[in-house]
Amino acid sequence: MNAALILVAGIGVCLLIYFVSSRVLQYFHSQNELGVILSLKIFQMAWIMIFTMLIFSSMISAVTTFYLAEDNEILLSSPVQPSEMYLMRYLTTAMNTSWMILVFSLPVFGAYGKIFHAGPLFWPLLVIAVPSVTLIATGIATILTVLVVYYFPARRTKDIVFYLSLCFGIFLYLVFRMIRPEELVNPDNYGQFIDYFSAVSAPAGPWLPAGWAANMISSYLLDGQVDLLLTGLLVTTPFVLFFLGQWLMDHLFVVGYSKSQESFGGHREFRPVRHFHSIRAWIWRKELKYFLRDSSEWSQFFMIAALIVVYLYNFKVLPLDRSPVSVFFVSNVISFANIGLSGFLAASLATRFVYPSISAEQGAYYLLAVSPLSWKQYLWYKYQFYFFPFTLLALVLIVISNYLLQISGPMGWVSVFTGMLLTWTSLGLALGFGMYFADFKSGSKVSTLEPGAILYLFCAIFYQVVLLLSGMPFVSRLVRRTLTEKGAAVSDYLSVCAWGSVVTMVSILLVFWLCNKAVNRRQWG
Amino acid sequence: MSQSLLTTRNLSKSFADFTAVNELDLDINQGEIFGFLGPNGAGKTTTIKMLVGLLKPTSGNIAIGGMDMALDPVGCKQRTGYIPDRPFLYEKLTGDEYLHFISSLYPEAAGGKALENAVGYLDLFDLAKWRHHLIEGYSHGMRQKLIMSSVLMLNQELIIVDEPMVGLDPKSARVVKELFRQKAREGTAIFLSTHSMEIAEELCDRIGIIVEGQIRAMGTMDELRAEAGSGNEHLEDIFLQLTGAFELLDVIRALRGSSLSDKKV
Repeated sequence: MNAALILVAGIGVCLLIYFVSSRVLQYFHSQNELGVILSLKIFQMAWIMIFTMLIFSSMISAVTTFYLAEDNEILLSSPVQPSEMYLMRYLTTAMNTSWMILVFSLPVFGAYGKIFHAGPLFWPLLVIAVPSVTLIATGIATILTVLVVYYFPARRTKDIVFYLSLCFGIFLYLVFRMIRPEELVNPDNYGQFIDYFSAVSAPAGPWLPAGWAANMISSYLLDGQVDLLLTGLLVTTPFVLFFLGQWLMDHLFVVGYSKSQESFGGHREFRPVRHFHSIRAWIWRKELKYFLRDSSEWSQFFMIAALIVVYLYNFKVLPLDRSPVSVFFVSNVISFANIGLSGFLAASLATRFVYPSISAEQGAYYLLAVSPLSWKQYLWYKYQFYFFPFTLLALVLIVISNYLLQISGPMGWVSVFTGMLLTWTSLGLALGFGMYFADFKSGSKVSTLEPGAILYLFCAIFYQVVLLLSGMPFVSRLVRRTLTEKGAAVSDYLSVCAWGSVVTMVSILLVFWLCNKAVNRRQWG
Repeated sequence: MSQSLLTTRNLSKSFADFTAVNELDLDINQGEIFGFLGPNGAGKTTTIKMLVGLLKPTSGNIAIGGMDMALDPVGCKQRTGYIPDRPFLYEKLTGDEYLHFISSLYPEAAGGKALENAVGYLDLFDLAKWRHHLIEGYSHGMRQKLIMSSVLMLNQELIIVDEPMVGLDPKSARVVKELFRQKAREGTAIFLSTHSMEIAEELCDRIGIIVEGQIRAMGTMDELRAEAGSGNEHLEDIFLQLTGAFELLDVIRALRGSSLSDKKV
């Protein structure tokens, strides 16, 4: 059932990507010729960006698949040459890092093919280009990894590459948003983009394999011509890189692997701890220490910070002055929609941080299970731990957005109240789902793509949509009447308050019911 | 006569059609070290998981210090310490932080002096100098010793131990044996599950042998010898005889070139 659910959700996401991509491309094409060129430039930039990200993520994955794999001890103690292992590790790395890009790029390619009325060779060319680019990225990444681990310990290499890729991702994200792509087709701005277009009129990245693929597909989309030189380069380069990697593997791998066995961080001495008796304080401390001592956890703060900056920047650059209706009304509508957006963000972050926090106890869960601490207390303390940062996040998103939208009147407190309710309920649901689907036997951290996590996200979003739709008539009437000369009546305020009371009660009951169900399932194994 | 601290009556656990533990009756007294032996898959781990509250029995009762596990699990857990065979710990905490965490889980244990007790155990196990290092850097044996320290510091009335010596060096194994004896003299009941016949024979006051979910034999070494109908045999021989491992005799004969043909295993 879980597999079917994921399949349906995956197809749904693909269809959504296809329709959104088609609409965006259609919009570009409807503008003028500049729109057509621009859509192809974005296509080429996307190829190069994905290629760069693939190299980073393949390097991180390669450190694990090549140097930290559990079966290395068995394989390397047997009479197997490292080069014989190379093909298996190379393909595993390629699959691990690129399957999602392969799946979710298909609808985008489909949209380009449809809008550009691509010829019959479009899909065969993609069959060459996409696997070739992913294999080239993996080839470059594995060669770099084997070389870097030869000089540095494997675990440190993994951390360094992870930080670099994170910074690169944040940089791209911020730059892409700050150039305000929605303004590129605004005729008022054409003058300042002329220089830009003349600069980018040359083929994108002629020395990069992603540029070869992008230029090959672009030229076919525009003129129906197949560039045989680029096709040849794409077909042969993966083989060249593979054999080079295999050669390096034979010569450098064993030294690097030996280094990766060295203990990492085990000799650092920490300060003595302050004395706390309360279990609540210790559960909080444990959560915090786990977060701060795991570089893959705390470093995501940077990504969240970038997310918040771009989120708020979107409100700052909203062209409200171009709106045909009252600015006050539009900003109030956006403020109401913003509640849903901030709720979605809270649910997404809860999927990443809160949902897996129960399974993160892993084998040590027995310490809690055999202790006098009940699972209900445990969940409650966890809830309290996450309560403050999530509340702060939701408040920052809603209050600053309202300030940027210059919201005054009832929408201000309605949005704060509803936003808090969505955030707190999403948090409770994340813990409930996390407890219900907890997998303490899993050797690694629970993924956000795990069926329980996806189900949680769907349920949280469904709850948020239902809650907002149920409140829309009352809030809308209150806001509209506030605009009139008479102003809103007491009954308008009362109806919003009554709605608020009902949804608060429903939310509390929902969280209690789910957590209770999860605890009963967990109790006694 | 010492009082029974841990009692089970008709304790059973089934998984679908398979009965892992069947009508188990146990009485473990204060100050007693009870050895729980059995071949692989006999139901030892399932029994232990029920005793520590990790698994719900299909039927039957568990009472610890007169408190029913089903009615007052928290009360029972307040009195029990559990040392598992595999040392799962919080990898990102230091040894010291881990001990603080455990002491906060059992606020009433050892009259609030658990952490003071821990200092002595860390010294005994040569862990003191590593106490401020992350557990992820500990060896298997160090982890096992840290778990032992964290349970012993609580001065619980009942300690349930699953394979206590796995991963321990000879010195630490000796220390553990002495500590168990000392704890028993102080009145602690120790329920010890092990595959090591030497340890069981050396340490336990009474031994229970479980086969296919049922107690096959239970008593002191002399009582077990009598039940097996043997003389001054070691526990290993008695165990093999009582668990019906007769086929092993043929294997040993084959391995030793039939030189054991007239000898008992």
